[in-house]
Amino acid sequence: MIVAARIFVVGGLTSFRALFYWLTPWIYVPTMLVAPIFQILLFAYIGRSAGLESDEFYLIGNALQYAAIPCLFAMAQMVGGERYQNTLSAILVSPAPRIPLFFGRSLPVLLNGAFVAAFSLLVGALVLGVHLPASSLAPLGLVVLIAAFSCTGLGLVNAAASLRIRENAVLSNVIFGFLLIFTGANVPLDDLPSWISTAAQGMPFTHAIKAARELAAGASLGDVRGLLGAELLVGAIYGVAGYSLLRWFEVLSRRYATLERS
Amino acid sequence: MAAIEAHELCRTYKTHTGTFRRRTKEVEAVRGVSFTIEPGELFGLLGPNGAGKTTTIKMLITLLIPTAGSARVLGLDVVKDAREVRKRIGYVFGGERGVYERLSGYDNLRYFAELYGVPPKLQKPRIEELLELVGLKGREHERAEGYSRGMKQRLHVARGLLHDPEVLFLDEPTIGLDPVGARELRSTIASLTAAGKTILLTTHYMFEADALCDRIAVISKGSIVAEGTPADLKRGVGQGSVLEVEVYGVDEETIEQVRRLGGVLAVSVEEREQAQVLVVQTQAEVELTSAILGHLNGGQVGRISQREPTLEDAYVALVTEE
Ligand SMILES: Nc1ncnc2c1ncn2[C@@H]1O[C@H](COP(=O)(O)OP(=O)(O)O)[C@@H](O)[C@H]1O
Ligand SMILES: [Mg+2]
Repeated sequence: MIVAARIFVVGGLTSFRALFYWLTPWIYVPTMLVAPIFQILLFAYIGRSAGLESDEFYLIGNALQYAAIPCLFAMAQMVGGERYQNTLSAILVSPAPRIPLFFGRSLPVLLNGAFVAAFSLLVGALVLGVHLPASSLAPLGLVVLIAAFSCTGLGLVNAAASLRIRENAVLSNVIFGFLLIFTGANVPLDDLPSWISTAAQGMPFTHAIKAARELAAGASLGDVRGLLGAELLVGAIYGVAGYSLLRWFEVLSRRYATLERS
Repeated sequence: MAAIEAHELCRTYKTHTGTFRRRTKEVEAVRGVSFTIEPGELFGLLGPNGAGKTTTIKMLITLLIPTAGSARVLGLDVVKDAREVRKRIGYVFGGERGVYERLSGYDNLRYFAELYGVPPKLQKPRIEELLELVGLKGREHERAEGYSRGMKQRLHVARGLLHDPEVLFLDEPTIGLDPVGARELRSTIASLTAAGKTILLTTHYMFEADALCDRIAVISKGSIVAEGTPADLKRGVGQGSVLEVEVYGVDEETIEQVRRLGGVLAVSVEEREQAQVLVVQTQAEVELTSAILGHLNGGQVGRISQREPTLEDAYVALVTEE
């Protein structure tokens, strides 16, 4: 039990340091902190000039959805990076229990994703002059964490894919673009073709974005309980799917030598 | 109970070529390898590149499932009891890759200590002890990217020993090291057997196997072609004779013709400064000098000498046999 807990926490953090050595402030600040503000402003200004939704609508949608960048890319790096550094076989030959081994790696990813979304939300609000009621800030913080959780779940699926395909950044980008539309971040779900709004129910962010908008409009945490539950459920399903895929690829690699040549 | 038992191990790889019209090619990397290693033994698997050494090790350490055959480590089946096997073995692979470059040597070891479930209280003294053993003491807090090849290699060794495994697998541990570094590593390996570990070591250096191993199996093209103590293998040498001919440019075809001469056991070419040396092993009683020179009529021929065969020659003969 203690071994598992330590692999989850200490192991997860150590591997984050080991695999994100290239993430200097010169890369982190522009991609994680500046780019989401651009995205928020772009959609808010389009919205203004076309007379569509409020600034708050775009602020919340894009700040949360941008967590997909750290969650998808970082999660893939946390697993695929091992392959790149040739450390994968050393890890797979260890008897380490796999649940804390793989999920431990998602913990720092989740925290970083939540930080990026929270930062974008606050700075974006300042830039656009959107007033978020002080009482909504703590509940919004919780929503941000839950959104990062569910997208990290999808990230785990993406991470499993990174064991099989080399061009994982391409896949991460595609999923990111997909989530711009399929979560209601920038177009109200009711205005989208019905099959898209149906599919959106199974995507990370959809319920979190809706909950955050309601909170900003004055709802209480109790009012958005159901939405948060749904968001957690979506994340958990992706997480379990991602973990199962990772295990399955591990089994396949023993049979077909698919992971590493050396 | 034997420490390691391999029984008729086989492994084929399927590789795919082409994006649209996929073609499948099969490589038989290991074809029916059997051996038994007793507790405390240092056993060498000796063979040229591509012989199937790494593939054999990967089956024994649970990273690959055999296509056929079976193996046991400490009595545990490597397929069915994989997790138990993993707890009790250490694996060290050669080459400088496979460490976390941006972590310090110490943190590399700490991470794997966690994965192997070394209790937190024991981690520090254990790591200190291993740093001492592999001679990295004093450099452990530097990032691994600044380490020399030899230091990374020794870090691999320390990593493989964190959980004090009974059985250790060393896959070409001295590959790419300078002579001094290789010698230091060999003395570390020797000290491990003194501490009672069972070791399976692979190498493509004859002298390394000779210097370290209690027993050697020579593997070539996926099969074991000879097995015994270094002394046994040396006894197999000695009947023949070796002719060395300096040549300046010799083609495959000529080598093939020489190889087909009656009484020739093996032919190899060594590069030496400006010249190449054609090394022809023959049976003792035959005299082939003029026949060989006859085949070399096109090219220039330098010094010719005859000598007794060495262990190295025995190895070359074993692994170049058709
Ligand atoms: N993952 C793989 N896929 C296809 N072929 C492989 C793979 N790994 C090794 N091989 C082939 O199997 C043979 C044996 O390789 P290996 O066991 O690495 O030999 P050694 O370690 O003795 O150099 C070689 O022909 C090699 O090219
Ligand atoms: Mg090898």
